[in-house]
Amino acid sequence: MSELSPESPPQSAKPTIFFDGVSSRRRQVTLVFGEALEIAEEGGTPVSWAWADIRRADSPAGILRLACTSAPPLARLEIRDSALAASVIARCMRLDEHRISPRGVAKIVGWSVAAAVSIVCVVLFGVPLAADRLAPLVPKPIERRIGDASEVQVKTIFGRSACEDPAGKTAFVKLVNRLRDAAGLDDDAMTAGVLPTSIPNAFALPGGKVYVLKGLLDKAENPDELAGILAHELGHLKHYDNMRGLIYNGGTSFLIGLLFGDVTGSSAVIFASRSVVEASYSREAETAADTFAIEMMHKLGRSPKPAAELMFRITGKEGGGLTSILASHPLTEDRLARMTKEDRPASGPPLLTDEEWQSLKLICGSGKI
Amino acid sequence: MNDMQWAPTGSEPLPPPLPPTRVEFTGDRSEFRKLVTKGALLELVTFGFYRFWLVTDLRRHLWSHTAIDGDAAEYTGRARELLIGFLFALAILVPIYLAYFLVGIEFERWQGFASTPLFISFYAFGQFAIFRARRYRLTRTVWRGVRFWMDGSGWAYSFRAMAWGLLVFLTLGLALPWREASLERYKMRHTHYGDLTGDFEGDGWTFFKRAWWLWLLTPIALLIFPIAPFVYAAFKAREWRWWLDGIRIGGVSLSSNLPSNAFYGVYWKVIGWWLLLSTVFSAYLGGAALLVVQLGGVPAEQLFEPGHTAKSIPMVVMMVIGYFALALAINIVMRVYLQRDIWAKVLETVEVHNIGAASDVRGSGELASALGEGFADGLDVAGF
Repeated sequence: MSELSPESPPQSAKPTIFFDGVSSRRRQVTLVFGEALEIAEEGGTPVSWAWADIRRADSPAGILRLACTSAPPLARLEIRDSALAASVIARCMRLDEHRISPRGVAKIVGWSVAAAVSIVCVVLFGVPLAADRLAPLVPKPIERRIGDASEVQVKTIFGRSACEDPAGKTAFVKLVNRLRDAAGLDDDAMTAGVLPTSIPNAFALPGGKVYVLKGLLDKAENPDELAGILAHELGHLKHYDNMRGLIYNGGTSFLIGLLFGDVTGSSAVIFASRSVVEASYSREAETAADTFAIEMMHKLGRSPKPAAELMFRITGKEGGGLTSILASHPLTEDRLARMTKEDRPASGPPLLTDEEWQSLKLICGSGKI
Repeated sequence: MNDMQWAPTGSEPLPPPLPPTRVEFTGDRSEFRKLVTKGALLELVTFGFYRFWLVTDLRRHLWSHTAIDGDAAEYTGRARELLIGFLFALAILVPIYLAYFLVGIEFERWQGFASTPLFISFYAFGQFAIFRARRYRLTRTVWRGVRFWMDGSGWAYSFRAMAWGLLVFLTLGLALPWREASLERYKMRHTHYGDLTGDFEGDGWTFFKRAWWLWLLTPIALLIFPIAPFVYAAFKAREWRWWLDGIRIGGVSLSSNLPSNAFYGVYWKVIGWWLLLSTVFSAYLGGAALLVVQLGGVPAEQLFEPGHTAKSIPMVVMMVIGYFALALAINIVMRVYLQRDIWAKVLETVEVHNIGAASDVRGSGELASALGEGFADGLDVAGF
């Protein structure tokens, strides 16, 4: 490179175009190579770009498009002659400095993997820990508000209002109170009721609301069957499973959604991984609630086995298929096996008299729903 | 009228208007395919984080190979901006999600499922994101050393989109052309190139006249599968042409002679690829199961039984690998056909009239932040 006398590069037929970054006027220019690149327009003020400041800009094939870090950001020089372009390229020492190199890509990959690993660790260990620690700390009024909201929903789905037959209600309250005392739950912490729907199920809502659906009551053959199920639901309340689940599900869906951003079919991946992760969490909670139910029934001197028999009567054998790793509850046959192992002859008084049991069965009236 | 008075009459005839110029797209298809393939692989390896770089690379390719009046455009956005925009959007969306949750509880307490309409607020937010994302892309679009830019308010746009959306809903879709015309007018009137201001002259009635029978066909198309791609492709082609015909920037106007059957091939190719890839995927799953049974000695019917979880792990791993390969392939197909091919097909039909009006435009406008792109990403909405 001659440093002293400006050198005129071979000018060619193909025009060199300059846009000054201030106006969209197309300026045909000639280049002079000196200590800097001199861009001269006939009748215009010459512009000079320091070689070290020149950077390559995106362009179609056959055009070399240049920008300059010390010029207006949108000023562009377009060289269409390949020989001229080559001689300009040879003089620009930092032409491609701003581009992403293979090392840059490796850095992106590295950081992304690190981020992904940290998110996975948080999902597997951090969120469950946070859920376990935070759930008992959620103030009771907030929990009750959430519970009220879900109660309204539940009643919209399962019908009107709880069954109110006085004799049945007395029997139900007696059963629930015995279990509650055994479970050591505070007095104001729970309410319970029977909802008139034929679906056989029972559930606990946040804020200590336990509901038995009439379908389950119909299928139950003795108080112990129903008591075992209620004890299981009380286990959920005792362990704050609702709030834990809420925090846990919210946290994992947020984090997994963040992880799998825009990959095609990401929603399927999100759904699948969430289902597996959440199901295992929920299975743990269910198993813990079963353990609690077994303890309660033993404390009351009754066997936990009838409850499992009732479940088995409702669901039948469940195993088989890939569903077992997606199931939110342990398989009924496994629960039955577990509770059969814990079967002991009754040592305490029956939880309800025959008469009370009969009136409980009729709590929603005798008619069909 | 005043112009006519000093125009020379008699000896010198008026010069004929310049012929319209074309838009050229010179992008190489295999280069784009390589870009997408590499990007999709990196996207998998990085759990999707590479998307910011991939999207930027694709835009840079498409923009820089699109030449108007002989000068190629340039996309000056960078992936880092998108990443930062996304992180900022997340920081804003998290409290919003929380607030949504808490307000939802109060609504539910009042009445079961009363919080469902709250979901609509996310739709409004999505419209806002679409507007702001467009602003980001536009301010990164440079032609002849001058950038495009936008003013206007994202929330005003969102409000219009919502009100029109309600009307479209109430009229079972019949009001759609007027909605699009109104929204495009808002967007284009707030679009600028240097000191030129845009406008949109398409009207809903023209669009309606071209596409109303597709509206009639839609219920049939939803029932009979092979009709649906035709109806959708025909609708899209008409929509593009109507949209291009309406665009004005300063004195420059666009027109397009995009034939209404232009997209049939593209959509059917995508469907063909989809079928092919699904077949290959099922065959792969079958083969994998067979292999596991042969090598592991686990009878097929026991493969998924409880108690055999450990033995089904190889199968699950192979399923996951296969699924990712499928996602990757579909990703590439969608981008090549639906992004690049449609881009090229549309552009080759565009004519630019009176480009001279843009020959000496003063640059102006500020760069917009990528926050809108971040919202659009976080809310999973896309728009143009």
